[in-house]
Amino acid sequence: MKRFLEKFVEGALLISGSVTSITILLIIIFLFKEATGLFNSPVVEEGYVLAMNKSNPVKKLNSYQIKHIFDADITNWDEVGGKEEPIEVVRLSDLTNYYTEEELGADFENIPAKASELTASRPGIILFLPEQYIAKNFDGTLLSKETMQPGDFFGGTEWYPTASPSPQYGLLPLLLGTLWVSLGAILLSLPFGIAVSVYLAEIASMRIRNILKPLVELLAGIPSVVYGFFGLVVIVPFLQETFKLPVGETALAGSIVLGIMALPTIITVAEDAMRTVPRAIKEASLALGATHWQTIYRVIIPYSKSGITSAAVLGIGRAIGETMAVLMVTGNAAVIPHTLLEPVRTIPATIAAELGEAPVGSGHYEALFALGCILFLITLVISISIEFIGRKKY
Amino acid sequence: MKTTKKQETNTNFGSSQFIPPVAGGVSGSSSSYSSKRWSQAIAFTIFKLMSYAVVAILVLILGFIVSKGFQVISWDFLTKSPEEGMTKGGIYPAIVGTLYLVLGSSLFSFPIGIMSGIYMNEYATGNKIAAFIRIMTNNLSAVPSVVFGLFGMALFVNVMGFGDSIIAGSLTLGLLSLPLVIRTTEESLKAIDFSYREGSLALGATKLQTIWKVIMPMAFPNIITGLILSIGRVSGETAPILFTVAAYFLPKLPTSIFDQVMALPYHLYVITTSGTNIEISRGIAYGTALVLIFIVLLVNVIATILRDYFSRKVKM
Amino acid sequence: MLIIDAKNVDFYYSDFHALKNINIEVEKNKVIALIGPSGCGKSTFLRLLNRMNDLIDGTRMTGSILVEGENIYAPNVRVDELRKKVGMVFQKPNPFPKTIFENVAYGLRVNGNTDNTFIEERVIESIKSAALWDEVKDKLNKSAFALSGGQQQRLCIARALAISPKVVLMDEPASALDPISTAKIEELIYELKKDYTIVIVTHNMQQASRVSDKTGYFYLGELVEFDDTTKIFTNPKEYSTQNYITGRFG
Repeated sequence: MKRFLEKFVEGALLISGSVTSITILLIIIFLFKEATGLFNSPVVEEGYVLAMNKSNPVKKLNSYQIKHIFDADITNWDEVGGKEEPIEVVRLSDLTNYYTEEELGADFENIPAKASELTASRPGIILFLPEQYIAKNFDGTLLSKETMQPGDFFGGTEWYPTASPSPQYGLLPLLLGTLWVSLGAILLSLPFGIAVSVYLAEIASMRIRNILKPLVELLAGIPSVVYGFFGLVVIVPFLQETFKLPVGETALAGSIVLGIMALPTIITVAEDAMRTVPRAIKEASLALGATHWQTIYRVIIPYSKSGITSAAVLGIGRAIGETMAVLMVTGNAAVIPHTLLEPVRTIPATIAAELGEAPVGSGHYEALFALGCILFLITLVISISIEFIGRKKY
Repeated sequence: MKTTKKQETNTNFGSSQFIPPVAGGVSGSSSSYSSKRWSQAIAFTIFKLMSYAVVAILVLILGFIVSKGFQVISWDFLTKSPEEGMTKGGIYPAIVGTLYLVLGSSLFSFPIGIMSGIYMNEYATGNKIAAFIRIMTNNLSAVPSVVFGLFGMALFVNVMGFGDSIIAGSLTLGLLSLPLVIRTTEESLKAIDFSYREGSLALGATKLQTIWKVIMPMAFPNIITGLILSIGRVSGETAPILFTVAAYFLPKLPTSIFDQVMALPYHLYVITTSGTNIEISRGIAYGTALVLIFIVLLVNVIATILRDYFSRKVKM
Repeated sequence: MLIIDAKNVDFYYSDFHALKNINIEVEKNKVIALIGPSGCGKSTFLRLLNRMNDLIDGTRMTGSILVEGENIYAPNVRVDELRKKVGMVFQKPNPFPKTIFENVAYGLRVNGNTDNTFIEERVIESIKSAALWDEVKDKLNKSAFALSGGQQQRLCIARALAISPKVVLMDEPASALDPISTAKIEELIYELKKDYTIVIVTHNMQQASRVSDKTGYFYLGELVEFDDTTKIFTNPKEYSTQNYITGRFG
């Protein structure tokens, strides 16, 4: 009986122990399952088709081309590999420019016939219609049903998930936005983080350390929305005034807030690393007539450089994954940033801002999960590299 | 330089050549000495100032929110529902919602986390399973909170069909805090000297009895401190609850675990960014931020007091 | 002239009275061994000679220690200058995570030497003095951690010699080493005394008798006896010393 209980408890403990592993596994499964759905989602909005004149040699358009045709950035078929022929964009609502309402019918019952007729008569036409209005004997070519390609996502330079007829799910502006903000954050916080960790580990008296250390821990405990709120009401207006900007919600504001948030991580990890420097090595340096400061920068910092690197990488990791604070202060413009003084949009902020509006199972929804995968992979690379840095010894 | 004396030693340890110390020392010029001193003084001053700057940032944030928030906090603010499009009234439903979420996630993460910690430190000590679990736990703790939100939405809200509910939010938050609980437990157990285990086992106690009667009571103070700190973290998380439980506005309190709730961090987010009137709601935002900060401070203070209390008890 | 002259030295670790009224006079170019059971204060006394105990919080010293006639505990003393004059070798080899060359060059560099030719000469001479040259001459740019324990300890000695100290303190320099490495270190000490004054702490009686000219026996924070080594080991005055060196306790 006693032995049975022992075995039973051990089994229960093992099951509990496996929960984190199972969670990781499930995260991978769910994220990637939804994300790969993106590459089965159509380039053109679900339930709609694009039609062209039969004489038009263009049979395929990618999502980027479609968007720019409808935005009138591309105006001639030769720009997308067709003949020299101006593009004539026609949407369902534009049909009234060609036909009277009587001609289309009171219940729009004549739209299929008229659409077919219009397409046949205009060589440069591209017609965007709901599928139901395509007649059986439609006189024109229907653009083949393409799905989103990995290139549209990984190489896409525009994030415009509600664009019609072809939504844009380009990763690049969001990825670059994330990297800009995180890089800015680490550049701001690393000097401070290292300075504070040196001060705490080596310079400060026990009494001062006992005061500073809990304060640093407190900094780590403040919720990210509070940082975001503080950033929004203090840092954003400050930046706007200082740099005379049209809006204060910029990458720099995000970097400052994230920099503050990354500080406790950097300080704690770097300080721990410096504290593991053997006393014997410090004493050896001092015994050779080095000053305390010489000992710090010639022996202690080099000796703990793998710990300091870990601190920096962890800080970047924290910055990359941070959501709410960034969402609140960076302005969220999904454009590729050129300076830190422009609004940017990061990957986590995009997920947080848009998931509520994306219908479950839609391309948009799947694109947000694909962003989640990217984020997950970045943090995975970071934790693996930390393991790797940690293992490296002299 | 003096001349080098060459000398053969009569042992087979190899030769050693002797040189006397350089006359007058190797450097000793007073300029190098004072530059050493100056660079130390300058470097230490810079480090000190930068450290105080970091403290100043904290004081600025806390001071700003506390001073602005105190003007808003009142008994009504803490006990009334939001009114008139969240421009007036209080934050009572959000406080209650956050309490439910903390409670729900703790019910999930504390038992599982503590049990995993025990398994890793007491049963799978040093073997490959423990190493694997540790790597997975570390990876999980590095996953950004918004990814937990995505995952919680996909699994609990959609696949398991809980909808936006307390249970979906609690499970998501519970998973998020699990690594913290596991690590706390493991560290606390690791800190207990192995001789206590041997002592108990030598008296004929089983492993389980040893853990239950000797090890856990000793590790308890540290574990409880860690658990309290994890409550602080959970109560401030926003991204994981965005799509799993949080409601923009609910006039009434939840009646079952399948209801949505309001929550403090989400409430702060919506009234600062997308409320009906952001300017008028600003006061409520300061008040909400202060309540959140207060929870964090409270949690830290309780943890510190407990740590001191228990460590004093152990000494006696 | 006396190179070290300690007068009425008392030392406390907060409440603990670790050294009681120690008086020692050391002449130039001699090897002094300090012996005694664990916790007797011999290492503490050694670390007073280059003010290494300054690093420990809550310590207090009274009395005076003169090195070359100057009180090293006078308020205007520059501690790093003192440590250049009084070098130290520690119990366990503690090379820096740098190359062999840079380990030895370290003391020169931190003391403001920028003349690379001089540094190189001095490094090579020091490594030769430490009887390590033949073993490392081809790998001066390799990490010091690649050396064996005994080699590391001789590297640490070379490192201490490079800044031309007057006195070299050795805190049980061979206790972490194997017998062959130990013999090499002892051989080295014997040779070094031609140019340096050496104070060595050891718990190994044979070692003390082999390498030193004078021996001091510490017990419970007091210097029980300080005399010529031959005398201490053949005809000690104090009963306690006799007990210790004959191995009745310790």
